[in-house]
Amino acid sequence: MHNISLVLRHEIATTLRKRSFWFTTFIFPLLIMVVSLVPQLLTDQFVGDDPVNLLTGPAGGTQQIGYVDEAGIITSLPADLAGLLQAYPDRAAAMQALQAGAISQFYELPASFMQTGDVVAVAPSLSPLAGEQSQDLLRWLVAYNLLGNEQQASLVLSPLGAVQETVLAPAEVDNRSSVAGFGVSFALMFILFFSITMSSGYMLQSVTKEKENRTAEVLLTSLDSQQLMIGKVIGLGCVALMQMAIWLGGGMLLFNRGATLLASLGGVTLPAGFWIYLLLYFLFGYLVYSSELGAIGALAPSAREGSQFTFVIILPLLIPLWFNSIFLNDPNGTLATVLSLFPLTAPTAMVTRLASASVPAWQPVVGLILLAAAAWFFVRLSARFFRADTLLSDTALSWGRLRGELRKGVKRAA
Amino acid sequence: MTAQIGSPTVQITGVRKSFGAVRAVDDVSFDVYPGEIFGMLGPNGAGKTTTIRLMLDIFRPDAGKVAVFGGAMDEEKKDRIGYMPEERGMYRDQKLESTLIYFARLKGLSEAEARSRLTGWLQRLDLYDHRQKRIQDLSKGMQQKAQIIATLVHEPDLIVIDEPFSGLDPVNTRLVKDIIEEQRQAGRTVIMSTHQMYQVEALCNRIVLINKGKSVLYGAVDEIKRRFAGNAVVIQGEGNFNGVDGVLDVYQRNGTWHLPLAAGVAPQEVLRTLAARQDVQIERFEVAEASLDDIFVMVVQGETPDD
Repeated sequence: MHNISLVLRHEIATTLRKRSFWFTTFIFPLLIMVVSLVPQLLTDQFVGDDPVNLLTGPAGGTQQIGYVDEAGIITSLPADLAGLLQAYPDRAAAMQALQAGAISQFYELPASFMQTGDVVAVAPSLSPLAGEQSQDLLRWLVAYNLLGNEQQASLVLSPLGAVQETVLAPAEVDNRSSVAGFGVSFALMFILFFSITMSSGYMLQSVTKEKENRTAEVLLTSLDSQQLMIGKVIGLGCVALMQMAIWLGGGMLLFNRGATLLASLGGVTLPAGFWIYLLLYFLFGYLVYSSELGAIGALAPSAREGSQFTFVIILPLLIPLWFNSIFLNDPNGTLATVLSLFPLTAPTAMVTRLASASVPAWQPVVGLILLAAAAWFFVRLSARFFRADTLLSDTALSWGRLRGELRKGVKRAA
Repeated sequence: MTAQIGSPTVQITGVRKSFGAVRAVDDVSFDVYPGEIFGMLGPNGAGKTTTIRLMLDIFRPDAGKVAVFGGAMDEEKKDRIGYMPEERGMYRDQKLESTLIYFARLKGLSEAEARSRLTGWLQRLDLYDHRQKRIQDLSKGMQQKAQIIATLVHEPDLIVIDEPFSGLDPVNTRLVKDIIEEQRQAGRTVIMSTHQMYQVEALCNRIVLINKGKSVLYGAVDEIKRRFAGNAVVIQGEGNFNGVDGVLDVYQRNGTWHLPLAAGVAPQEVLRTLAARQDVQIERFEVAEASLDDIFVMVVQGETPDD
C-alpha cells in the first residue's frame, strides 16, 4: 500500500510538472473556445440588433451610404440614422458622390418599388458581408418610413421578442431538446472524450517512458508490476478528475459569470443524479481506457510505437462524436441507446443522452453496470500485460504480437 | 579477502529460465556470502542479467530455487537490496534530487531520512551542486554516480551492481571502487557484474562465469587462477605473434604480448614454434600466471584445464 501511494503521488507530481498538461488543461480549451466563439462574437458585433451598427464599425467609424428615392417613400430618417444616410436627387448625383468618395455605396429605389420591391445597389466593389449589412439598414429605413414609427418598424422586422414557454407536460416536452440543451450535451461529450483520452494517454506515456529510460527495472526491485500499475491508474485518475473539474468549473465561470451552472446552461434542466452519473461514467470509462493504453504501454518498446495503436484503442469513444446529430434528433432511438449501453462507447454516449433527453431510468443503471464490468475485465486483462518480462522487453509491438498477447491475456483474465 | 562467513545471502540452486524457445539460464548454481564481493562474469548475452533478475524476483524461475536472506523474496527483503542495472534507470526529464528521493522512499526511507542521507552522498560524489538539474543535463559519468547513490542510499545488505565503472574517469573509478570496498568492509554482500577483468581481480573474492546460460566456472579468484596457471605465456619482443597453433588469443598489455594457450598446449611448444619463425624477435619469454582475461577467453572458447 505504501508503494502504491508513492507511485500514485509520483505520477500526480510528474504529470502536474508537465507543461503539456497545463497546455491541454487551459490553453487547448481556450483555443477551441476562441475558434468557435470569435466568429459568433464578430457577427454579433457587426450584425447586432441595432441597425446603426451596420454603418459604424467596432471603433465607431462612420461610413455614409447614399440613396436615390424615385419611389418617394422616404420622408424622414430614424433618429439613429441621421447623418449616416445621404439623399441624392438622382443616380448621376449619387454616382458623382460615390466617385468622389463621399459615400461608400448608394441604393436606388425605383419608381416601381412599391409594386416590385426591387432596389438597385451601386458600390465600387463586391462585398457580400457589407452588402448584407447595408441591406438590413435599408430594410429598417423602408420599414420606418412605411409604418411611420420605430416601434412598429422594429416589430415588423423582428416580430417576436423573448418567448416565455410554459410547458404543460414537462416529461414529454423537454427543454434539453433545445439548441442550448444540445450545446450543453455536446460540450459534455467533448469534455468526457478529452478527459478520458488525455488521462489515458498519460498512462501510455508514463509506462513507455519508464520502459524507454529503463527505470522500470529499478522500480521492479522495489515493488511488483501490479503495484506499479495500480499506483499509476489511481494517480493519473486523480489528475484526470482534477482536469475535468477545471474544465467544468472553468466552463461555469466563463459562461455564467459566477451564477449556478444550471442557469448558465440556457435554462437546461439536467435530471436528478446527472452529476453522479457523469462522475461514475467518467471514472469507469477512464479505467477501461487507461488500462487498455497501459497494456499497450507495457507491450510497446517506445512511446512512438505505442501511440500508433492509440487511435484504434480510443476509436469506440469517438463513435458517439461522429453520430452526434443522432443524439440531437433521436436521443432515445436505437443507435443512441445501443451506443450508450455498449461499454466502450457508453462513457460519452450515455452522458450525452442524459443531458439531451429523458432517458428511461433503467438504462443509465444498466449501462453503468456493463461499463463497470468492462472496467473490471480490462483492468484484469491489462494486469496480465503488466509483467516484468513485458516491461523489460524491447520486442517490437505488432498487430500479430498484440493478438497473441490478447489471446493469452483473455484466457488468464477469464 | 575473506569470504563464506555465516549463511549465504544469496543461494541460487539449479535455476532455469526460458523465454519462448530460448533457454536464457540453464542450471545455474552459486552462493554468495556476507562480506564478499562476488563477480558475475560472462560474455554478452550469456544469461547474467537474467540470472540477476531471477535473483531479485523480477522474473520467476521455471525450475530451481532462489533464496535471498535465507528464503523466498518478500517486500521487506526488497528494501534490503540495492540494484544498479547495466542500462541506467533514471527519469531523464526530472530533477536529480527528486528522482533520488523517490527511489529512496520506495526503499522504505522517510522523506526526511532520504534527504538527510542524500546530502552526504551528493556531496561525496560531487553532485550536490547539480541536484536541481534535470538528469538529462548531467554528463554520463554524473548519471552513473547518481545511479550508484540510488543503489546505496538506503544502506542495503545486498548490493547488485552491473558495470559500475561504465562511463567513469579514473578519479571517479577509484572513488567508486573505494565505495564498493567500504560496503564489503561493512559486512554487506556485493555482487558485481562487469567486463573489466582487472577490476574483478582487484575487488572480487569469488566469481561465477556464465556462458550460454550455464555456469561454467565458479570459485575463489585465487584458486581459479592457480588452476589455470601455465596456460598463458608472456613475451617481450617484436613481430607478429599471430598464427601459432595452440594460442587462443594474442594481445598486448603494458608493452608485453600475452598469449593464452589452449588446454594441453605446453609453453615450450609455443617457444619452439616462435623461435623457428623469422618474423618475430623474442627478448623475453615466460610462463604467465593466467589473468582473468585469459581465463575468460579460454573458458568461453571451451578450453579449460580439465580438457
